[in-house]
Amino acid sequence: MTKTGEETTGAVSDVPRRVFTDFLDALVAKGIPTDIISRLRKTLLVDHRYSDKALKEAVFPETFDL
Amino acid sequence: MISIKSITIKEFRGIRDLTIDLNGKSFGICGPNGTGKSGVVDALEFALTGNISRLSGEGRGDISLKEHGAHVDRRNDPEKAVVAITADIPSLRKTVTVERTVKAPSAAKVTPADADVLDVLRKIAKRPEIVLSRRELIRYVLATPGKRAEEVQALLHIEDIDKVRGGLQKLANAYERQLPYVESVARDARDLLQRALNVSQLRSESILSASNVQREILGLPLLQELTDKTSLTDGLNAPIRALPQTIQKSQASADLVATRETLEASFNAEVTRRLPELLSAIQSLARNPLVKQGMRLESFLTVGIELALQEFCPFCDKPWNLDELRKHVQVKLQGLKDVSRQRQEISQKVAPMANVCRRLASQLTALLRHAALPKQAIPMPVVSGFSAELYKMADDLERQPSLEEITVLLGKLVIPADLNTDLDSFSKAVAELPDSSKQDAAKIWLTVAQERLENYRSSMRKLKIAREQANIARQIFDTYTHTNDAVLTALYDEVQKDFAALYAFINRSDEKDFKAKLTPSMGKLGFDVDFYGRGFFPPGAYHSEGHQDGMGLCLYLALMRHLHGEEFIAAILDDVLMSVDSGHRREVCSLLKKEFPNTQFIMTTHDPIWLRHMRTEGLIAARAALQFRKWNVDTGPTQWDERDVWSEIGECLDNNDVLSAAGLLRHYLEYTAAEICHHLRAPVEFRGDAQYQLGELMPSAISRLGRLYSRGKDAANSWGQKEVGEELLKREAQFARFAQATNVEQWQVNSAIHFNNWENLGKNDFTPVAKAFQDLLGAFSCAKCNQYLRVTPEREAIEALRCDCGQTNVNLKKK
Repeated sequence: MTKTGEETTGAVSDVPRRVFTDFLDALVAKGIPTDIISRLRKTLLVDHRYSDKALKEAVFPETFDL
Repeated sequence: MISIKSITIKEFRGIRDLTIDLNGKSFGICGPNGTGKSGVVDALEFALTGNISRLSGEGRGDISLKEHGAHVDRRNDPEKAVVAITADIPSLRKTVTVERTVKAPSAAKVTPADADVLDVLRKIAKRPEIVLSRRELIRYVLATPGKRAEEVQALLHIEDIDKVRGGLQKLANAYERQLPYVESVARDARDLLQRALNVSQLRSESILSASNVQREILGLPLLQELTDKTSLTDGLNAPIRALPQTIQKSQASADLVATRETLEASFNAEVTRRLPELLSAIQSLARNPLVKQGMRLESFLTVGIELALQEFCPFCDKPWNLDELRKHVQVKLQGLKDVSRQRQEISQKVAPMANVCRRLASQLTALLRHAALPKQAIPMPVVSGFSAELYKMADDLERQPSLEEITVLLGKLVIPADLNTDLDSFSKAVAELPDSSKQDAAKIWLTVAQERLENYRSSMRKLKIAREQANIARQIFDTYTHTNDAVLTALYDEVQKDFAALYAFINRSDEKDFKAKLTPSMGKLGFDVDFYGRGFFPPGAYHSEGHQDGMGLCLYLALMRHLHGEEFIAAILDDVLMSVDSGHRREVCSLLKKEFPNTQFIMTTHDPIWLRHMRTEGLIAARAALQFRKWNVDTGPTQWDERDVWSEIGECLDNNDVLSAAGLLRHYLEYTAAEICHHLRAPVEFRGDAQYQLGELMPSAISRLGRLYSRGKDAANSWGQKEVGEELLKREAQFARFAQATNVEQWQVNSAIHFNNWENLGKNDFTPVAKAFQDLLGAFSCAKCNQYLRVTPEREAIEALRCDCGQTNVNLKKK
């Protein structure tokens, strides 16, 4: 485990991890709010939750009703 | 990650009790069909993953590991079905044992049960691709692009990537979908505010100007600027809500006029006029049977027509005309596309109706607010009910209902008969109200305007948030898609280059410039290969079945190397190259040895020649193989084992079953004679089908060993090694005696096998035959290690006659 709690892997090419990591880095460059990136990082790289519900909670945790 | 040293299998699948020592090296398992090879593969997979993929997954029906993993006679005692492996984990420098039973497949007994060991085993259990059968292999090659993408994604464990892509897309779509609704609410709030202020344009100056007129009447300080905190009622002591009966007449009248306009212009003129036409289009489309089958049928037809390659139906085997079938299916697919387009057109027509419903509901709600102000509220039950119904209908229409639901919803879209009665009552009540004093009118004006300003501010804030969220959600999805495409394109680019290089190696005689294209697109993975420089085509288009097998293996190896890198240290290949010819299989052996020197390949085959290639190419060591000769349900697989054969022949003779004894001897001699010829490099007349008879092999083997002894003798003499020469002379003489004995008796073996005179042979007739051959085979072997003597090197000029243990080491080179 890394200090951020992300699970490390012995595999040379953990493709999902590479996609998720590149994706999160690209979001930083795009200026997406840091709280959203932080929640997405935890969801994808630490908790390994990929459901629609988990992604919704990570991107906009508040209720859908405005 | 792991290399397997040994496996012990008990009461599992077709195996009763079997232990195989693999020593962490590549290993071959050979035997005719149905002799238990795949049982060993199942056991290896079971030990490593707790599962048998052949007994699970798609299309397995009622078959399961739990019910059918144990030997058929132990199906009620799954705890007796046990597989144990001993393995090295080089990265941890540990040797572990893993034992599982069919009763509790997931509860492996691991020794040592260290955390790091368990972690490695968990990772292996998640990666069943370590076991590859021809069935899986060909799936990578011949699948449709969509299915291939699924298979390759499963191998690379990237299904989750697609799952996340889908989730983020849904999120972006959902937030964009709600925008029109939020915009509509904001527009209505703006209209209400504009009407309250009686201004044509909603600007700070116009709001301030209109408000200050009223404030001046009340002697309140004039507002100088309009911020998001500014209250138009600032300084008013008594909230106007505390003063019932105070409807602002002009405002209420203006709202009523606006409501009637919407009812007339938008609702009646637009909705009611277009409704019949829209309902008719919906009903017509709903009657089309393709609508219900929709996506599933389109997917089925698309896949089906891609797979329709033969001249007969794979379901009923009746012949069909492929061209006509394709045309027929294309018409259907076009029909489905038309349905999809019509469905989209209907959705586009329904969306404005939802907006009109919401606007009318909002205006009716404003009237209800006026009506509730007087002490004696103006009753408007129809307006109240219809307003609530319109809000609900707008919500329902916006959540993308089915055609049937749209029909039902639009069917309810009728203005209640008594609505105008309510509106007329309201109009009358407002008209009858006494005119307020200028001051009261100003108070009411400011209060209503402030309420609507707050409502407008709130709706604009929500709109801003909604737009921001939609924008962020779309950016997140676009960024993900871009990143995903970039990573996967790079990955497939590397894999395709590696794949092409591996395939070109095994086909370098005529396809050394072979190239391939793996093209990911919209959840599909296209796969085209170069066909002798004539262009790129699907692998099944022009390449032979054998070439396709080779492609499947190479694609698998490229993917595994990319996935595991240096940790790709074990793979179990179950009869994967059955369609590949012997020349190319030899190249496959070279490829595996050269490109994957640190990977332990455990390979099964029904072809002894293929096993021999594994040995001659150095992929497996001379003793790193197992040859099953038969299988039965009581004993499981039986190997060719010297002791077992002679005792089995003895048992047959004890029972006077000469026919069985002779058959067994003949089969064993065919197997051993081929092995001996191979080991001694004995010349045999070449046969293209590699089907050599015993009569072609054994004389050549006997002659070869005799000549080798003679040559060794000459070499020893040339070196002045008198004792060695004498020893070889003795061996030569003894061997000649054994050979002579078999020559004398051999006719009886043949006659027994061919059933010519078997009834004339009894135990006493056949016993010397068996004994003669037992002695002869013994003379081909080392007395100490019991392995057949072999010449070295395996190619080019012969230098020595040796055995595995070194007891025999005869120099064949003269001084």
